[in-house]
Amino acid sequence: MSSSKLISLSEAVRRFTWDGMQYASGAALPVGSDAIAFGRELLRQGRRDLHAIFHCNTQQLNLLAAAGVVSKAECGFSGLEVFGFANGLRRAVESGQLALEDWSNLAIPLRLLGGALGWPFVPATVNIGSDIQTRSAFAPDQFPARDKIPSVTDPFSGQTIGAFSPLKPDVAAIHVTLADVQGNAIMLGTEWSRFELSRAAKKVVVIADAIVDTDCMRQFPNLVRIPDILVEAVVYWPFAAWPQGSPGMYDVDEEHMRLMNKALGTAEGTEAYVRDYVTAYTDLDSYLDLIGRDTVARLSQGSTSFLLDPYRRWIKSPQEVATLIQKEAA
Amino acid sequence: MSTPYTRQEMMAIATGREIKDGELAIFGVGLSMLAGYFAQEHHAPNVRAMTEGGVYGSTPVGGLPWGIECNRISSNATSFTSALDALGFLVASGRCDVGIIGAAQVDKFGNVNTTGVWDGEIGDTYRTPKTRLTGAGGANDIACGAGRVVIMVTHEPKRFADKVTYVSSPGYLEGGESRARHGFVGGGPSAIVTTLGILRPHPETKEFHLDGWYAFSSPEEIRAATGWDLKTFPHAGVIPEPTADELAALRRVDVTGALRKQ
Repeated sequence: MSSSKLISLSEAVRRFTWDGMQYASGAALPVGSDAIAFGRELLRQGRRDLHAIFHCNTQQLNLLAAAGVVSKAECGFSGLEVFGFANGLRRAVESGQLALEDWSNLAIPLRLLGGALGWPFVPATVNIGSDIQTRSAFAPDQFPARDKIPSVTDPFSGQTIGAFSPLKPDVAAIHVTLADVQGNAIMLGTEWSRFELSRAAKKVVVIADAIVDTDCMRQFPNLVRIPDILVEAVVYWPFAAWPQGSPGMYDVDEEHMRLMNKALGTAEGTEAYVRDYVTAYTDLDSYLDLIGRDTVARLSQGSTSFLLDPYRRWIKSPQEVATLIQKEAA
Repeated sequence: MSTPYTRQEMMAIATGREIKDGELAIFGVGLSMLAGYFAQEHHAPNVRAMTEGGVYGSTPVGGLPWGIECNRISSNATSFTSALDALGFLVASGRCDVGIIGAAQVDKFGNVNTTGVWDGEIGDTYRTPKTRLTGAGGANDIACGAGRVVIMVTHEPKRFADKVTYVSSPGYLEGGESRARHGFVGGGPSAIVTTLGILRPHPETKEFHLDGWYAFSSPEEIRAATGWDLKTFPHAGVIPEPTADELAALRRVDVTGALRKQ
């Protein structure tokens, strides 16, 4: 039996991240599951000069960009959907502080797939013929860009298509709904591209809303799309995607989504946000206090709560998880 | 006397009319989702809808979804998969019949810009935009792969350009046969449905022409709000107003009244 990989959030960031790294996260579109708790801890530990790879912008990238710790980013979508433009990311891009390389929402999973399979390139039948191919924020003086999506010939048909470069991020912080202490993980809701990311990244840390017994994985092995052998560390962090939602677990905190995006629109607002919502908590209890216990209770009773029902009997209490972490540390 | 309705509602209904029963369809978040689910509610009960994140078989619950993976679209789904599945296996493969996308800027060949606003042309160096927008998202993939694409956009001069500053999602590129050189599996935009009327591509030149206006708009108003010398098809005319059934169906979908705000 393999041993527990359960470690604290601060330990995970200390051990698996560094300045200048290629950091992948942001499972989904901005209001879906996103390991933003890991991003808050990156800020708390002063990481900087990150090369962020996010399938779509999320509040995590919005926050990291606003705080000035991202120099390069690659995304398929850079808004906040119905919540509007991502003010922090937008400010960083418009000021020239952050180079944002544009792709599409299919290009990112295809590039991750290429990285996961060790392919030299991935045939591109999308993004070609548009300015996603001809314009590169990473090579702004090349027009048309030569190295972003170079043209190649399909050897079978003779058709000119493009070549996507594979992605192999240094570390991926992947939000999951449920994990056991060894790193087997279940995601409720769409995976978006977390399956491909878990295979493409050099190292994977899963951030789980809840820790379950391995018996849960044995009951639903088809649903364990991230098996333990891919995972370096497991972090337990309830409401890890807050203020974004986690299907089955909690709904989007609409009020905080707006408050946060508004704050990230200015340097002063970002400073205040970091003070009040990034550095203000010391542990899980004070983190949940910060969200507000009433809000936690309200968001936990959403229209998708029934999705969690089959798994509830295996979920470990916060006390049980704390004991497991202590045992591991000892 | 018909029930009063807003321009946004007319645009959503006109877009929904483009969706046929039984089609495999992909909708973006926001207005395009309302138009799509209106079609399902009204005349296309067997439309097979999915989101680009891979949510199948669901309808929004408790209002418009905040996002494609949000709980409001995850409450009654029959399958959750992934973006590679939805945008790749089902759209890039050529299986998807129709997609609805939005635009910040659209041009006479149906090319869409959702990436940024620049002062003038970008030039040889890729300058930072004056205003950064959301980027392509799944719209580029839908524009390349869906059988046909309906572009839904508010009709304002600043949005209707002779040539978009940045092509985020390809329409007919420089017009004529220029789209064919990339071998896209999808056919390109079949309509630009706006708050004032409907534009459709000329069969040969692929330049968008005025195809119809609403009871409350006119060809003159539309031409004044379009940044190129808009030609009108000989068959162009007034588009039927929403029927009572159509409005009722749309309002059942638009539970929060997003389209009723003036």
